[in-house]
Amino acid sequence: MQTLGTPILASAVWAQSSGSLGLRSFLQPCVADELAKNDKQVLLIWLDGGMSQLESWDPKPNTEFGGPFRAIPTSVPGINVCELLQHTAKQMHHLALLRSVCTQDNSHSAGVARINRGDPKNRGVDYPFLGSAVAKLLGPTSSGMPPYLWIKPYSGGFKASDAGFLGAKYGALALGDGKPPDNLLLNKTISPEENELRNELRQKFNNRYAVGRRKEWTEANSYVYELAKKLMDRRDLFNESSVTDKDRERYGTHELGRHLLLARRTLETGVRFVKVNSYHWDSHGDNFNASDSLIRQFDQPFAALIEDLHERRMLDNVLVIVMSEFGRTPKINSHVGRDHWPEAWSIAMAGAGIQRGVVVGKTNDQGTFVDGQPHDIGDLFHTWFKALGVPQDMMEYDNNGQPLPVANEECSPIPELLA
Amino acid sequence: MERQWFFRRIIRGILILVLATPVVSADERPLALRIDELIEVRFDGQQPAPTADDAEFLRRICLDFAGRIPTADETRRFLDNSAADKRTQLIDQLLAAPTYAQRMQELFHVMLMERRGDNDKWTHYLRTAFDQNKHWDQIVRELLYPDAEDESRRGAGFFYTKRIEANGQNAVDYPGLTRDVGRLFLGADLQCAQCHNHLFIDDYKQQDFQGLYSVYLNLSVKSGLDFPAVTEKAMEKKLEFVSVFDPTPHQTGPRIPFAKELNVPEQVKDGPPVSVLALLAKDFPIPDNILFSKNIANRLWFMMMGRGLVHPLDLHHSGNPPSHPELLELLASEFAAHQYDIKWMLRELAITRTYQRSSRHPAAMADDNGEPAAVSFDQIPPHSYLLFNEKRLLAEQLLYSTLQATGNLDRLLQPAAEGKPNPELVDLTAKYIAAFANEPREPEDQINPAVKGALFTLNDEMSLHLLSRQQGNLIDRLMTMTDDQLLAEELYLSVFTRKPTDEERTELVAWLAPQVDRERAIGMWAWSMLTSVEFVINH
Repeated sequence: MQTLGTPILASAVWAQSSGSLGLRSFLQPCVADELAKNDKQVLLIWLDGGMSQLESWDPKPNTEFGGPFRAIPTSVPGINVCELLQHTAKQMHHLALLRSVCTQDNSHSAGVARINRGDPKNRGVDYPFLGSAVAKLLGPTSSGMPPYLWIKPYSGGFKASDAGFLGAKYGALALGDGKPPDNLLLNKTISPEENELRNELRQKFNNRYAVGRRKEWTEANSYVYELAKKLMDRRDLFNESSVTDKDRERYGTHELGRHLLLARRTLETGVRFVKVNSYHWDSHGDNFNASDSLIRQFDQPFAALIEDLHERRMLDNVLVIVMSEFGRTPKINSHVGRDHWPEAWSIAMAGAGIQRGVVVGKTNDQGTFVDGQPHDIGDLFHTWFKALGVPQDMMEYDNNGQPLPVANEECSPIPELLA
Repeated sequence: MERQWFFRRIIRGILILVLATPVVSADERPLALRIDELIEVRFDGQQPAPTADDAEFLRRICLDFAGRIPTADETRRFLDNSAADKRTQLIDQLLAAPTYAQRMQELFHVMLMERRGDNDKWTHYLRTAFDQNKHWDQIVRELLYPDAEDESRRGAGFFYTKRIEANGQNAVDYPGLTRDVGRLFLGADLQCAQCHNHLFIDDYKQQDFQGLYSVYLNLSVKSGLDFPAVTEKAMEKKLEFVSVFDPTPHQTGPRIPFAKELNVPEQVKDGPPVSVLALLAKDFPIPDNILFSKNIANRLWFMMMGRGLVHPLDLHHSGNPPSHPELLELLASEFAAHQYDIKWMLRELAITRTYQRSSRHPAAMADDNGEPAAVSFDQIPPHSYLLFNEKRLLAEQLLYSTLQATGNLDRLLQPAAEGKPNPELVDLTAKYIAAFANEPREPEDQINPAVKGALFTLNDEMSLHLLSRQQGNLIDRLMTMTDDQLLAEELYLSVFTRKPTDEERTELVAWLAPQVDRERAIGMWAWSMLTSVEFVINH
């Protein structure tokens, strides 16, 4: 197919092209400059349904509710975790565990959103999930990659609902089953030069349209085409053959293993916030066999991921969080299961701005309640925003004139977790 | 600061509750005039945008009433028409054209089903309803009580069946159906009142949710039929419920939210079965049900003006008052007084100054010397209606407009063999919906910039093919033109529904002059127009 000749570029048209709206306009300009230096990233691993803290971060072996598994020592003397985390135990010196999590909701339907939103005070608006909040507060990194990617089983697409009142553009680009979005390859009838040209023309038309009009639509159009270009440029991300056999073996070929490996690769391209979802953690029945399977499926790739981030010197920059909507009941029910338990559970984290090799907070001997100061999810949102270097003067959203604190104002950062 | 704001909202809500008691109006003037007065009285001395020019108005009204942009020839004829009342004439023509029913079918399909899926009988039902200008109360009556015996309204059952169909091992989503009936027909999202009185919307009580829920618990899909239908079990007793905060048991019979319990007669032995659905359908879509009228008035207003008087559309309650409470009252009562005639209402909205205002505000432009604009957009928010609020296009509107602009619409509207739709059109429709529609269950009421849409226009083969030369299409027409000035005019009229400015004409002519492969060059310019904001939204 013949391509267009060079005269196109020589045309007087281009002299008038003004600077492009785009990623920069995603943020207020003054803030954008300040944040350009901040390339902190986040990986959120969401274990949907509720991981049992007793079979993972807060084992209570040989107690009434302890269950059949042993506790094992970790790379940090004095800190033990459940034996199902045998690989992760070796990475404990990179991790921080909060064992005193106490949250407010024991239902999935409300709890998932409540935890993902940091349980802000109710002001009649839908708060954004953490990924959308970070996309809004920090924007894309200097890589220009989409600020919020979501790797999940099942369907992909653009998930606007996470964004709440921030508006759809802060939603998540979801890679369903870890697969790339459709139409990622440049159509074979179009040369890269032509592609460049037609997008410059489109942008020129946009700029002309924008004069005297609200900017939202032009910004949205420019933004999605810039993201599309970034993704097309980085389509190697989805090239399975570029994954080494060693990585495949270390992360495992199961779903969560593949998805966590993809997460590492997307973080390497500079995506600001990556969420990885794993489902079916709601073990009301047969909790111990379920945990034996599920927690091991998590343990192997998670340990490999932490090791990789460390070796690539990315751990100073990437905040890693492992959480669910709640923990599970110490009491073992008649189906040998554990039910929903927001009263006392654990959240693990590592990386940017976070203390290494520590346990903060504790539960009582039976693991039923927090012993000492409990911590709600709002405290953790404050902690994470601080770890990510969100400036103090950005701790409030402006929702069409309605000021909204980015995190519950009755909560505060947990100093012991901060490096 | 934040607290003050909250209290202001509450106090405003209380005031409005007090003031909003319906008053019978003696004002006999046309509704459109009264609408404009109520909007303009709140301008507070600010200058509104000027009236949209003919081209801007033409494009807007065609998208709203025909679901597509006009052809270049239609545009020329309208611009050349010197009749003083040509806008009103056009509005009436569009409301009488067959494209009106198709557009309304698509609009209400997306509003009511939120991309859960489609069904031929349902499409037929909606299409026929709007063909006959069936009134909104009647449509809702049929949706709430889809009588399987009556062939003419069978498709209406899809509203229920799609929502309560089996979904793997999940429980049938009766709460979801209950919530949707509240959202879509009353503008009240009762979801958080399922398990307790709503925590921060005092108007939403648990009994409002549970009362409606009790009706739907008896509903199931009737299988083995070639149309969507439900069956209803007899309701044996009242529904018992407790709040998660308070173990005191409560009970409720079937209830329309915010109203009394329905009066369900005793089942007479050997008599016809008592249908609670029928009772619900009888008492729901009536003027006494104020929220029923307000919800639809607000939704039609949103569809025309790009912003709900109550926004979000499904949060009518005293803590989220309308931007123009007296206007919403007026629209709701007038709509009820006109027996919920949708076509009448849309016509009234279309002839207002508010609808016909430009989406461009001169005072918001920086001047030629680079001086900043006199007015910032923060000063003229969407609910001020000081300028027209740009609107998102449905995937269907974007598809038909793209086909119209590229001169492929007539060809693709030709049925294939046996009256079946053209397979290329079927494929393109599916692709456009995949690329531009929201996920299932998400209302399409705000900007949703999607990377998948961008990737689709950049790389999809079928979509790009619309810009290759085929007999009679846009590129073909332009390729036969030798005068590039005329070519520029034809291209801009076809895609942007307006003539090019001198600047645009000059730059296109200059650009084309040295091109060796004119077909590709023209196609590229057209692609860039078709993917730019001016084309992909209604402004």
